[in-house]
Amino acid sequence: MNTKTLWYIVKRILLAIFTIWIVITITFFVMHAVPGGPFVGEKEPPKAIKQAMEAKYGLDKSPGEQYVEYLKGIVTEFDFGPSLKKKGRSVNDIISDGMETSLKLGLMAAGIATLLGIVFGAVAALRRNKFIDRFIMVFTTAFVSMPSFIMGTLLLLIFSQSLGWFPANGTKAGGLVLPVITLALYPMAYITRLTRSSMLDVLGQDYIRTAKAKGVSGPRIIFGHAMKNSLIPVLTYVGPMLAYIVTGSLVVEKIFNVPGIGRAFVNSITSRDYPLIMGTTIILAALIVVMNLITDILYKVVDPRIQFE
Amino acid sequence: MKAKRLLALLLAAALVVSLVACGGSDKKKGDSEEVNLDDTKIEVCIASEPDTIDPALNSAVDGATMLVHLFSGLAKWSQNDDGKLEIVADAAEELTEGVKNDDGTVTYTYTLRDGLKWSDGKDVSAKDFEFAWKRAASLELAADYGYMFEVVDGYDKITEVDADGKAVNPDAELNVKATDDKTLVVTLKNDVPYWNELLAFPVYFPVREDVVKNDKWATDPSTYVCNGLYKLDSWDHDSLITLKYNPDHPDADKVKMGTIEFYLSDDANNQLTNFKNGDWKLIDDVPTDEIATLKEEYADQFHNVGQIGTYYVCWNINENILPEDSELKGAEAEAAKSEIRSALSLILDRNYIVNDIAQGGEVPASSFVAMGLTDADGSEFYKNTGVSEDYVGYFDTSAEAFEANFQKAVEILKKYYKYDESSKKFTNMPSLTYLYNTSEAHQAIGEYIQAAFDSVGITMKLENQEWNTFLQTRKSGDFSIARNGWIADYNDPICFLDMWTSGSGNNDIQFGKGDNAKVKAYSLDLTDLGFDTKVENGTWAETYDVLISTIKACTDSEKRYKLMHRAEDMLMSTGCICPIYYYTDLYMLDSSVSGFFSNPLGYKYFMYCSISEGE
Repeated sequence: MNTKTLWYIVKRILLAIFTIWIVITITFFVMHAVPGGPFVGEKEPPKAIKQAMEAKYGLDKSPGEQYVEYLKGIVTEFDFGPSLKKKGRSVNDIISDGMETSLKLGLMAAGIATLLGIVFGAVAALRRNKFIDRFIMVFTTAFVSMPSFIMGTLLLLIFSQSLGWFPANGTKAGGLVLPVITLALYPMAYITRLTRSSMLDVLGQDYIRTAKAKGVSGPRIIFGHAMKNSLIPVLTYVGPMLAYIVTGSLVVEKIFNVPGIGRAFVNSITSRDYPLIMGTTIILAALIVVMNLITDILYKVVDPRIQFE
Repeated sequence: MKAKRLLALLLAAALVVSLVACGGSDKKKGDSEEVNLDDTKIEVCIASEPDTIDPALNSAVDGATMLVHLFSGLAKWSQNDDGKLEIVADAAEELTEGVKNDDGTVTYTYTLRDGLKWSDGKDVSAKDFEFAWKRAASLELAADYGYMFEVVDGYDKITEVDADGKAVNPDAELNVKATDDKTLVVTLKNDVPYWNELLAFPVYFPVREDVVKNDKWATDPSTYVCNGLYKLDSWDHDSLITLKYNPDHPDADKVKMGTIEFYLSDDANNQLTNFKNGDWKLIDDVPTDEIATLKEEYADQFHNVGQIGTYYVCWNINENILPEDSELKGAEAEAAKSEIRSALSLILDRNYIVNDIAQGGEVPASSFVAMGLTDADGSEFYKNTGVSEDYVGYFDTSAEAFEANFQKAVEILKKYYKYDESSKKFTNMPSLTYLYNTSEAHQAIGEYIQAAFDSVGITMKLENQEWNTFLQTRKSGDFSIARNGWIADYNDPICFLDMWTSGSGNNDIQFGKGDNAKVKAYSLDLTDLGFDTKVENGTWAETYDVLISTIKACTDSEKRYKLMHRAEDMLMSTGCICPIYYYTDLYMLDSSVSGFFSNPLGYKYFMYCSISEGE
């Protein structure tokens, strides 16, 4: 790795930290500006109790002071503070619980989507305009255009309610099968289409023709020469996709009752659980930033023609 | 492709086998055989993850349901052989009568039963109760439901604040004392008719000092020490809470269900799918738009039981609804506004709302204090409002009476607004905005009210806000008319009445606040009940607040209930509360389950459940 590459990576990491700091700052102040509060309830407690609650969590201080204290907590101890709603639980606990499930779900879905997407895409490209290509294209178009709440509900109706093959509950054995499929279908279809068009593009290039002319066997052309280059666009998609699946699986989490981070995130906002809002926002933002960073660096690895600037 | 298909088939087969295997353990042995509790299990879903299962901090119904299984307080709700609910002694040997002291306070002395143990094997002591109660009422813990101790002597001192809102008595304590390991003595401010019910409320359950020192104690089974019929066996956060029966509890022989699995879900559609699958035997929520179908398809499994709460529409008392050119001022203007609001309440067809919109078995409401709360003589409070012999409540909600109510309303409104005979509409009514929290059900009711008001010429816009924002807006009085609802914490009408004093944080209507604070339009005469209170044309604080204080200090049960009827009369005469329906608690229970019951607060009891074979 030359110094130019190293410098680029350092620069990108610094930029990533800056981005996250901006996210923290904006979220913090917007959150406090939204009407309502963590201790606003249908039944209002006596004033003395409300004050005691606010003092307990430092909410009696000015937003500025709270902001400084909050940043200090994150930077020095990586402590996101206690949840205001889930009594006795720390935001770190809630996030790590939710992340564990979401990551498991996300990685499985991303793995399946990438693997099947590449295979189907390659098959479609190689059998261009044949029945199998048309077949794959029809289905991928359907999957790309169908929102996950429809797909999820459909799968739930068929495989859980009617056939009874899988539980409708992500916490039971086998409960993750349907949510993983639901989450995987869209990116799989997308990757299939991406791989197909990119593969067709590569297959039409001179070096492939040369390889063919030299008598290289079909599978070797595909796996040895065409595959690597046709995967560059796929790679750019996979990183952000993973972040998207992990952070954006709320709908699927709700339909299948999966205890992921998405649910914790949305619930934290409706209940004004300030530390949890901050914690989840930061972690999710960091995930997206990091995935983008990794993707950018990986570019270089798969395609040496790309120059860092 | 073939290989894949095979794999999918194999996977499915494996799952089916494992599911069948799991299902097997659910089955109960024949009635003639001894049922092994370890083999019994019920899977239910009452809500998503509870905020806490620390009895002092919990303020939710789902948390309370778990807590009544995990803890034994001095008293508990129980179902007798006739199916009637009653409060009986639990950790106490008996629920004793109080002894009146010279200063009007009342002292109760309880003796704990023998054999009560904590789940870690230590003995339950009266000191644990003393500690738990003092903790729950303390500002240090700042529990939502700390105010449930306001009936206990000493509580007022704890929450007394100075002008800046700072507590003035930091060392104040509740008047409760464990005189030895078995005896607990507590002194109440005065005679409280619902005291035994409070004892069955989770905030009154005992906790042990060394356990709760760890402020994460209630989040993990390894640190969760309780004294009830069940122990916390596992807690998979946001997924599943498992309770296992405690064989060492003195009442363990009465328990029928060995394991209770509380699945945690906040999605009504997901709950319903799991119920239809047969996985969950009880679900506490169903999608609103499915109610009509479910009522038919699952007639014997669809339940709605009374809940002590009222769904209502509230006016902001400071909203001027008189025509612009009105010359009415002060008390006269207030009286006119009250009459107008009461009239507008009559043009709503509650039967339509209940039968065609809400559809959950709700009951049309004609009073604010809900159905299900009892009066001094044990009859239902709302039936004794005494306005008319012909109907129950403050107006007739029967379908036949609607036309007459509507006409009456129009006649009243004609006194204040211009009426166009040809269009049959009023022409100079101010336009209104109806505020509700985002939800399809509330929106549907809002739209109905909009249409009903439009039929007499009132333009009403609908505005929805997200829950937390909505609460804030409504509390601060930044609305003209808003959706509201109230569910009582215990069976006493005061729950519905003391929230409207001018200093109360729940006074959404803004009685005695803002402009209304100076309005001298209210009268109170209690001389016929033997009090020397008589105020004519006083402010809200001079009348209603005084009335509530009188109720709280009153020790004569019969008089106290009469005073509460007066308070409700006063509230309803302002027209600011427009009751829509009495809430019902709606749930689905699998027909294979027997022995289940729930109480009017919505707590569900699974310990005496059994599941019959063949399901």
